[in-house]
Amino acid sequence: MARELDWQVSGDEGRRTLAVAGVVDRAHTPRLAEQLLALLPGHGARLTLDLSQVEALDGSAVALLVHAWRESTRSGGQLVIGAASEAARRSLTLYRTREDPPAPPPPPGFLEGLGDLALSLPVAARDLAQLAADTTFALGRALGRPTRRRLGAAIEQAYHIGYRALPIVALICFLVGLTLAFQSAYQLQQFGAAIFVANLTAISVIREMGPLMTAILVAGRSGSAIAAEVATMKVAEEVDALQVMGLDAIEYLAVPRLLAILVTVPVLTVGADLVGVLGGFIVGTFYLDISPIAYLNQTLDSLGPKDLLTGLTKSVVFAWGIGLIGLYYGFRVRGGAAEVGRMTTASVVAAIFFIIVADCLFSVLFYIVL
Amino acid sequence: MASVALEVRGLVARYGERTILDGVDLTVHRHEIRVILGGSGCGKSTLLKHCIGLNLPAAGTVRLLGAALEQLEGPARDALLIRTGVLFQNGALLGSLTVGENVALPLQEHTSLPAELIAELVRLKLAQVEMSHAEHLLPSEISGGMRKRAALARAMALDPEILFCDEPSAGLDPLTSAELDALLLRLRDRFGMAIVVVTHELASIEIISDRVTMLAAGKVLADGPLAEVRASSLPEIQAFFRRIAAGEMRREPSAWELLGGGGES
Repeated sequence: MARELDWQVSGDEGRRTLAVAGVVDRAHTPRLAEQLLALLPGHGARLTLDLSQVEALDGSAVALLVHAWRESTRSGGQLVIGAASEAARRSLTLYRTREDPPAPPPPPGFLEGLGDLALSLPVAARDLAQLAADTTFALGRALGRPTRRRLGAAIEQAYHIGYRALPIVALICFLVGLTLAFQSAYQLQQFGAAIFVANLTAISVIREMGPLMTAILVAGRSGSAIAAEVATMKVAEEVDALQVMGLDAIEYLAVPRLLAILVTVPVLTVGADLVGVLGGFIVGTFYLDISPIAYLNQTLDSLGPKDLLTGLTKSVVFAWGIGLIGLYYGFRVRGGAAEVGRMTTASVVAAIFFIIVADCLFSVLFYIVL
Repeated sequence: MASVALEVRGLVARYGERTILDGVDLTVHRHEIRVILGGSGCGKSTLLKHCIGLNLPAAGTVRLLGAALEQLEGPARDALLIRTGVLFQNGALLGSLTVGENVALPLQEHTSLPAELIAELVRLKLAQVEMSHAEHLLPSEISGGMRKRAALARAMALDPEILFCDEPSAGLDPLTSAELDALLLRLRDRFGMAIVVVTHELASIEIISDRVTMLAAGKVLADGPLAEVRASSLPEIQAFFRRIAAGEMRREPSAWELLGGGGES
């Protein structure tokens, strides 16, 4: 049976001896550490360790001894091993260490961080612009001479980005249409203008809510997927592998995804517009008791081709932005799994920010120009 | 202290329909370095995963340090795994932590050592694998071989009683590889550590192995000291040690032979 850890202090102040006996392992090291660090020799003093009764010494005990040696040397004292058992010697010779371990790099200060950020912004802008240009050219080339493989990849992406998103986009936009109609009905009824619920719902869904909600959902679903997929490929050196096989990563990865997103988002938006108007229609006919024919006529009268055009223009720009931002963050990743997560999150935040800002600009622009 | 560190009896492993291991027996003692050999896809890594409880056996038993791993749960299981070190094939360092933090992680979680002792111990463990200079770097900032050495330092952080290494020297230069072999031998000699090494490196096998186990097609083909296994007359074993190409051993015709080239027209 192994002997419990035990120790004895002897000698006078300045010339003490600490005799340790038994097993010193990581369960017992903290206890010994308290004692040893309390005895650390000050300037000119000496502490002798007697390890002759030590039965086993594990890594943590070696770490304690080395740490104690460093501390006492720094304060001008002396810590020496007087005697040691075979077991202690075995452990102590297994580990090597330097007198001065490398210091950790200082954490970046606030100003330094600010400076880094300022320096990185123009680089990021340049990279994004570069990617936008590269993808646009590659897209043009791919459309100029489509190959079956690229087309297959684009169709597969379209299935994931568009078709699979249909149920959730439809549900959300239906509920948005319904809510809009309810909210406006309450106000408009006070003026006896309940029929204008049709105008309000149709215009806001088709010009605003349809494209916006669709884009936000696609950014969350597919923008993040694009960023995560490309980032993981990049981390696993798959992007490099494509490059050395003579395949352009932009053409191979970016083009099918951009193509798919550019085609499916406007289509999804049209679907979203229809179910959004349907939501308003249900409130109008069942809650406001407007006749179905009257509601539909009112809706069609209120809409012009430019409303649909506005909405679709927006949706194409949103789609382009979502795809590009996803790709940008995907290609930007350096390092490992944590970075993939950070970049994916950043891509969704950036895409939604882009959508909202672009939407605001477009709404102002279209009302002034058209 | 029982002298058997790992005991595998009649282990059967399946991935779906495919049987990877079919009745494997393996006994590893303390104070022993056991090398597991075999061609790619013969089930070496699968065997390793069963030994450390990542996969559960379809049949058979695995006793690690005297306990049946698959019957343990919660804290008892963790306590057993703490006494086990594993070096994964690609290192499996956590990418969001520096090399030093990776090594410190098990120490912070499983010991009550004060922070400055953990820092000192991390430096000692890293010095053992010649990685002191990389303590504050991220895994993505160092090379593959360095990642592997850092991962070994992490596997040894808690002074395990048994150490599993999946291809420790693959991707390492000969010098570092020799250092690693010397370290494994020191750990065996001074602490009586049981070490299970999966490797292809013949040079390293010659230096470190006490016994070797050769797997082929999910079965143990041979088990014993290297010289004994090497002397076996089984064609697969001879092929392995003499580096005969698999195609030649199976006597597959080349395309030239298939098309009757060189024969009569």
